[in-house]
Amino acid sequence: MKAAVIVLVGAAIVAVRLWLRRRSRRGGTATRRTAGHEGAPLLGDVGLVAGREIRERVRGRVFRVGTLLILLGVAAAIVIPTLHGGPPPPQRVGVVGTLSPRAQAAVAAVGASLGTTVHLVEEPSRSSAGQDLRAGRLDVVVVEGRALVVAKPIDPSDTSTTARLVRTLAAALGLQQAYQAAGLSIAQQEQLAHAGPLPVTSLQPSTPGTTRTTSVVGVILIFVMLTQYNTWILVGVMEEKANRVVEVLLSALRPLQLLAGKVLGIGLVAMGQAALIVAFALVLAKAVGSDLLHGTAPVELAAALVWLVLGYAFYCWVYAAAGSTVERQEQIQSLAFPLSLPIILGYVVALVTAGSGNVTLFVRVLAYLPPTAPFLMPVLVGLDRVSWPGFVLSVAITVLGTIVVARFAAGVYRRSILRSGRVRVRDALAGRAG
Amino acid sequence: MPGVLELQGLTRRYGSITALDDLSFSVPAGEVVGFLGPNGAGKTTAMRAVFGLVDLDAGSVTWNGATVTQAERRRFGYMPEERGLYPGMRVREQLQYLARLHGLGATRAAAVAGAWLERLGIADRAEGRVDALSHGNQQRVQLASALLHEPDLLVLDEPLAGLDPAGIDAVGDVLLEQARAGRCVLFSSHQLDLVEHLCESVTIIDHGRLVVSGRVDDLATRGQRRLVVRVEGDRDGRWAQGLAGVAVSEVTGGAVRLVLDESVDSDDLLRTAMRAGRVNEFVFERRRMSEVFREATA
Repeated sequence: MKAAVIVLVGAAIVAVRLWLRRRSRRGGTATRRTAGHEGAPLLGDVGLVAGREIRERVRGRVFRVGTLLILLGVAAAIVIPTLHGGPPPPQRVGVVGTLSPRAQAAVAAVGASLGTTVHLVEEPSRSSAGQDLRAGRLDVVVVEGRALVVAKPIDPSDTSTTARLVRTLAAALGLQQAYQAAGLSIAQQEQLAHAGPLPVTSLQPSTPGTTRTTSVVGVILIFVMLTQYNTWILVGVMEEKANRVVEVLLSALRPLQLLAGKVLGIGLVAMGQAALIVAFALVLAKAVGSDLLHGTAPVELAAALVWLVLGYAFYCWVYAAAGSTVERQEQIQSLAFPLSLPIILGYVVALVTAGSGNVTLFVRVLAYLPPTAPFLMPVLVGLDRVSWPGFVLSVAITVLGTIVVARFAAGVYRRSILRSGRVRVRDALAGRAG
Repeated sequence: MPGVLELQGLTRRYGSITALDDLSFSVPAGEVVGFLGPNGAGKTTAMRAVFGLVDLDAGSVTWNGATVTQAERRRFGYMPEERGLYPGMRVREQLQYLARLHGLGATRAAAVAGAWLERLGIADRAEGRVDALSHGNQQRVQLASALLHEPDLLVLDEPLAGLDPAGIDAVGDVLLEQARAGRCVLFSSHQLDLVEHLCESVTIIDHGRLVVSGRVDDLATRGQRRLVVRVEGDRDGRWAQGLAGVAVSEVTGGAVRLVLDESVDSDDLLRTAMRAGRVNEFVFERRRMSEVFREATA
């Protein structure tokens, strides 16, 4: 069954790839335009530029290999835990001497509470039980209902089924003895045996582990994709400037059209890849019964995708403007690090917050600032620590910030893209084109 | 629609350097205009200004008397000095893409790209990457990219640089053909003999200023007339010594090169030569473009 689903998912990926390839060969013949072109819609040219970006990027080896590696990583993260999971192994409990029916029932109940079955094995003597323990034929031995013997000392941090069985069994049998020693009646013992803990109510809502997992996965996805696609924009703009094709393009296009087409095209590739990864992860997790994505409310996953889009929309302009000011690879490297600082800050604080569940004022502030909101807001959603109005407010601030940054970046791009060599900050901010 | 390109009072300064200094000239339809000037004279800046790639301090570029619009620029073709193509893109796709940016539909773009690849002899490389082509073939692709949309105006910055003789002939044929089709063609070059051969008129600039502009024939014959005469038996040109309004500038290999004043009648001069002996050569000499250029930019 699992294998069949994996094959189906693989077939779906191949089908998408073939579809993209066929589209690229067709060259978008559906949108034929006539010569003359006056009054053509703005998106027509932006769409042409975006289409070229999509075709070239999807066709590139970097994208193909990168997508494959990410999918393999996601598949490994989902499938491997399920291979090591499954039902815990049955436990063999040796019994030296007699074990009262009540104690036998307690042993079975402990096994059931751990999700395993317990086989009782009568041992003629303590020494034979010791031999079977050492040989691995038994997991634990109960001696006369008064003591437990194991092959090796059990570490308090050991979470294996045997270790948990031994600890729980020791406590349960010890309690039974104490009840008997206290002279309690059978009915009283039954009553005590079924004692349940008092309910505990927290002033703060609980944070289920699976939700944290989902938000962490979302934040990692946002970080990886923003880093990758922003770098594409940075290098792509720099290369167009360096190889001077921009001169040919801008003889027919406005700078803003070229810029918008580039960020739209690369953005669509990014979103397509993200959608593919998420769909792949959901289908695979469901198929193999992984609990990685269990408990994920659709709204949390949607929040991560919304913030991926918003994060890309905000940063793509910044990286495009930066790329237009340089024309050599080593100049790119000196730009990439300072540009990535707010991304790294948001990413690290988001991971720490998701791990600790501790939402400080600093985290809240970052969750409303456009450069870091794409990382912090999904975590706050995952921790259920943000209201809908707060979420919408942060989205609105980021959208407004994106508009401001885009206008500023378009100006820098227009002034810098046609200047040869590295453009000084003063010229990029207030100089003239060409 | 063919028209007239006019550059009026173009001025562009880069700090203390004046790249264009009140530069004005025009490119009429149906002509190949050579755009000449020493390195750094401002040719490339002026050509970029036609496409709005330079923010001008003053001046304007007009097409048929009106400021050039973005839609009109789409109908222009441009080959920049620093060649620009996507190196990793396939040749045919690159041309189709550029044609579409100039407003052609997908089917038409595919057709014209194929036709130009055939015409320029690079059809067999159409599916290869641009950076796998030789320098000359990349140059051909670049030229094709400027021609795909049958532009009303063709602006080519050094289109002949780096081409072999066959390539130069091919590009020259294309330029003449475009002009014959009624289009405006402006191209810059340092190969002055070719300019003389291809162009109806030239514009020469220096330090951003216009220094000479006119028809090639006029420039070649402008100024004092020069005459080369060879008289049998008079290898030193003694017959021409002391004639009024006639200066002997050079005597080489039995031929004498004369510079004539406007007052001199060439028929009288021919008769004088014939009296000295049998005249084997009597030719008015045109000024070479290189001479015009050197004089203009001296």
